Amino acid sequence: MTESLHAVLEALPQSSLTTHILGALDYIVPGEWRNITNFEELVKDVTGETNDALIQQVGERAMQLYADESNGYQRAVSVYRGIDSASTVAGVAAMANLAGQRFEILSFLTDVTPKADTTQAIDAGIKFAGELVAFALTNGIPGDSVGDFVSALANYGKEEKMRLAAWLAIDCVLPLGPDFIQKILEALDGPLEDIENNRVFKFVSAHLPGGLAEQRDTIKRNVEESRGHLESMVAGHGITQEGVMEKVKEYVAIADDKLDLVAAALDLGTNTFEHTGIQTVARRVVQRAYSEI
Amino acid sequence: MSSRRILVCALLLCTALTGGCKKDEPKSTRWDDAAAAVASAPPADVDAAGAVPLSPAGTLNKFFPKDGEGGYKRIFAADKEGYAEAKLQKDGKEVAVLSISDAERLAYAKAKFDGATEKLEGYPLMTVGKNQSTVLVKNRYQVKVSSPTLEHEARKAILATFDLKGLGT
Repeated sequence: MTESLHAVLEALPQSSLTTHILGALDYIVPGEWRNITNFEELVKDVTGETNDALIQQVGERAMQLYADESNGYQRAVSVYRGIDSASTVAGVAAMANLAGQRFEILSFLTDVTPKADTTQAIDAGIKFAGELVAFALTNGIPGDSVGDFVSALANYGKEEKMRLAAWLAIDCVLPLGPDFIQKILEALDGPLEDIENNRVFKFVSAHLPGGLAEQRDTIKRNVEESRGHLESMVAGHGITQEGVMEKVKEYVAIADDKLDLVAAALDLGTNTFEHTGIQTVARRVVQRAYSEI
Repeated sequence: MSSRRILVCALLLCTALTGGCKKDEPKSTRWDDAAAAVASAPPADVDAAGAVPLSPAGTLNKFFPKDGEGGYKRIFAADKEGYAEAKLQKDGKEVAVLSISDAERLAYAKAKFDGATEKLEGYPLMTVGKNQSTVLVKNRYQVKVSSPTLEHEARKAILATFDLKGLGT
């Protein structure tokens, strides 16, 4: 039996490391994100309605729409979940590699794990492709329609904007620095096997058209065409390594100052895509239900 | 030193994950019956499926108001089988959500228009809740404007900028 929409939303924690980190990063997109984990509250938030029968009708229609697999909403949620469950493993690899560079006793790990920077950069690029795929599944544009996605990015709001900000802060700027776009593009230009073997890719690729080379092109094009928007978001909202680190430390006790290690630990310990992704999908389904009833 | 650091880092993360977090409030039971109904019966859509297929994705967009109409920026937000949605912005702020949905398989969505007292271009027009105005075209397509800030008359004016005639033919 598939999970019902209200159960998926209400299973999200009201307070967790993820919500703390998102709260810490709120300064980038002030007021955009509220951690709504109650279905009734979401329906009220989307519709602005107060009539109880109407709220019930919208909620029930949303549950029907979500339950129908052919609508794509369940697949969008599984992509958001996949991005995080897969990157948890990448987080482990990055930690092991850093440890390998640092300690004599663990140095053998450097031979079997990719360079942390490359893993991180490929991860970041593929997670962003995951956002494209989930967006397409939710809103109905073709999976290779990068142009439509890029123009939608500029209008991202609420959970979507928070997710994008968290990705930029934790997956891009913190570990890769201000020239993260260049690093991501270079890493994606590396051996195709690096992409093929990436665990996040294995999850996202099922929804990207074409063969491996074509999929790589879509992932790259997605980064290239969004570049202007992403860089202006980083510049406009003052996302810097120091700034992110400082804010994160206000909310979460972290004993280490090594940026790449903290980024890897955050990647390992949080699921910002899954958390805000479920909130986004639920909001979109409720909006549609409100339009349809 | 460094190995301890990693351990401390990992431990603190664990602490934040468990002890550092307050307990979640109990979940509501309001939707449990509806969830059980959805799970046990096929969705109403599928039940009534048969004769008429829903409008394919990409066929409803062309009936929306043009970008810039009435001084609003129009941004398409969804384009799925039987459903298309756009947002209207003014000065960068969202003003309204526009939608066309194929109500062919949603009997109650159509039936509510039986009580409609207004008309727009000959089609029944009504309000839903306090934030929506809607018109039913060709006894099939529900065209809606949802906005918490615009009144019915303003929403109705936006409805009039849809190509209702085109949608109805």
